[in-house]
Amino acid sequence: MKFVDEFRDAELGRVVAGEILAAVEPGRHYKFMEVCGGHTHSIYKYGIDDLLPANVELVHGPGCPVCVIPMGRVDDGIALAHQDGVIFTCFGDMMRVPGSDGSLLDAKAAGADVRMVYSPLDALRIAKQNPDRQVVFFAIGFETTAPSTALTLKRARAERVANFSCMCSHVTIVPPLRALLESPDLRLDGFIGPGHVSTIVGARPFEFIPADYGKPVVIAGFEPLDILHAISMILRQLATGRCEVENQYTRVVPYEGNLRALEVMAEVFELRPHFEWRGLGFISHSGLKLSDAYADLDAEQRFAVPGLRVADPKACQCGEVLKGVIKPWECKVFGTACTPERPIGTCMVSSEGACAAYYNFGRFAREREVV
Amino acid sequence: MTVLRVDGRRGLALCTDRSGVRSTVEIALVEPVTAGDELLVHAGTAIAAAAKAPRQ
Repeated sequence: MKFVDEFRDAELGRVVAGEILAAVEPGRHYKFMEVCGGHTHSIYKYGIDDLLPANVELVHGPGCPVCVIPMGRVDDGIALAHQDGVIFTCFGDMMRVPGSDGSLLDAKAAGADVRMVYSPLDALRIAKQNPDRQVVFFAIGFETTAPSTALTLKRARAERVANFSCMCSHVTIVPPLRALLESPDLRLDGFIGPGHVSTIVGARPFEFIPADYGKPVVIAGFEPLDILHAISMILRQLATGRCEVENQYTRVVPYEGNLRALEVMAEVFELRPHFEWRGLGFISHSGLKLSDAYADLDAEQRFAVPGLRVADPKACQCGEVLKGVIKPWECKVFGTACTPERPIGTCMVSSEGACAAYYNFGRFAREREVV
Repeated sequence: MTVLRVDGRRGLALCTDRSGVRSTVEIALVEPVTAGDELLVHAGTAIAAAAKAPRQ
């Protein structure tokens, strides 16, 4: 298949792994963060870790959209789902994220009308099919998903679908990266930049990382060769004393991003003064809400939402995993009390979560190593 | 996903993924689109055109 097979070529993969091996300085430890959960998934699925020299370490970042939603926000969604006449719609992963007293799936089992959708357009369709009900879409995700929500809200407005609204929990990628770079817990040598977010925002928003923090960034695709190539490009920057934003994923990422998407987002959304991230706390200007022009489609204005802040369970170390401070297997409950079937933390829910990715793929390689 | 058919009036396209599953995709961000184009689709919206079909 075009754009897939050629980026999974094992022979080429070995060649790039050889280039990486040749580029590393013996005795130096390299720590690169893959920002996006999609990269984390690919790294474990394809065993990319196993192809790297021992002194190249990959650290997982905060780029899994489900993982960063705080518990209080899940509780807000559940409270909304229980309101009379509401059909609450969300992506499948979000249904399994634990709140303080169960998940949206539990709420559904208890009688709430919670429905899984693949896109906001599906939620709008449900609204059109149920004009006597209020349909709420729980919008989550980074800049990759936000344009889809924005276009659906514009469509709802144009088609005068009055019973549709959106509980907006979209977030933006730059503020948490800045927060991580300011963190004394973490020493990084470079970033594998988020591929799909960059199709929307372009490469420019990441220029502050080399400019202000002296770390190279290479925006990468999601196939194994993409990721290996990106690591090789970061190493080449380090070896030659360069420090800049490079784009490995040129087949879909223009340097300026998708201007139409940015325009529609600017029309429909505005930045919240601050937004809570699971494990990272409140980060200024990191979350989106509906703009005044679309306030009538804002579920948080249409319905009463508790808006309480809820602390994560003590046993859960998702926050440290999301900050790259610990690896999934170093969490106290990983694979025992917390599994994909019965997750305690968000990182074990989504396929893009570091814990779920490691549980599903990576642990087998590690078990082989231990044996 | 590969574009099968375009409904320009509604800004939607019928697309198929590699396993043959068909779905309706919002194309406002990548227009103009024609049958045979390869789109990168996220949450039901095409966010980038990976390849254009040869034009007549």
